Amino acid sequence: MARILDFYQVRWEYEPHTFPILWNLDGAVVESFSPDFWLPDLDLYLEMTTLRQKLVRKKNRKLRRVLELYPDLRVKLFYARDFRALMLKYGKFALYGELSGTSGQVVPGRDAETTAAGPDADEAER
Amino acid sequence: MVRPIDLAADIGEILVTEEALQARIRELGSQVSADYAGRPLTLVSVLKGALPFMADLMRRITVPVRIDLMEVSSYGGTSTESSGLVRILKDLSATIEGEDVLIVEDIIDTGLTLNYLLRYLRGKNPRSLRICTLLDKPARRLVDISVDYVGFTIPDQFVVGYGLDYGEYYRNLSFVGVLRPEVYTDAG
Repeated sequence: MARILDFYQVRWEYEPHTFPILWNLDGAVVESFSPDFWLPDLDLYLEMTTLRQKLVRKKNRKLRRVLELYPDLRVKLFYARDFRALMLKYGKFALYGELSGTSGQVVPGRDAETTAAGPDADEAER
Repeated sequence: MVRPIDLAADIGEILVTEEALQARIRELGSQVSADYAGRPLTLVSVLKGALPFMADLMRRITVPVRIDLMEVSSYGGTSTESSGLVRILKDLSATIEGEDVLIVEDIIDTGLTLNYLLRYLRGKNPRSLRICTLLDKPARRLVDISVDYVGFTIPDQFVVGYGLDYGEYYRNLSFVGVLRPEVYTDAG
């Protein structure tokens, strides 16, 4: 994603901000959310989720909580299917293979299961 | 083994028929003509996908029109690997300073290319700069861009035809269709 943003000359910072989402009774932060990318010119955070279904669910839950606490925050969640769409669009089959073959990430042939967290997960994309 | 291309069999579903395309383009042409009444207009099309749309749209516009063509490198394009930055492969042929300009696009999804193009064209000081796209896929949007004229808002599916390609093919289809997933999964 960093390479794509660089290519299109979109300024980004990696995890520059952390948003507390859960505190204990003493007021100490016990859970927080640090979106992967901050695009200052677009006032947008990107959070990448090329992970297993269990972790996608956890991330979805975190994001819901963040938006409850910080409703003005603009966060775009990038699911595995979004990566696939970008790779398809740009004809990057080799990179797609890299992304999907790593342990703990999307396993080829199991994409439908892995990406089901997002809407229209079983659709093809441009 | 390379999968042979079969224009008819590779399409799983026709999303926008030829008739629907032409009807909507007539409407867009009327709308653009009304909005720019009495003013000449420069249409800037982005190669290659927007060519059929540009060709049909310009013939439905009744105000005086100039056309120009641009080509912008795409991430992953072999000719751009060395620089690692988006580049203008074909620039405008004439100045647009002080002109009313309408960008004619085939599809907007992430908005990254258009965002770059807008910044580039604004730097050339046109009188006005608007956007007309045949297809809009808002589910994929990363960059919020205000689009002035939209032909069809489409779902998050991989579409080809009427200028849109997969591996440079399928552009010559007269409709917009959804490519069967096995076409690109087999290609990997």
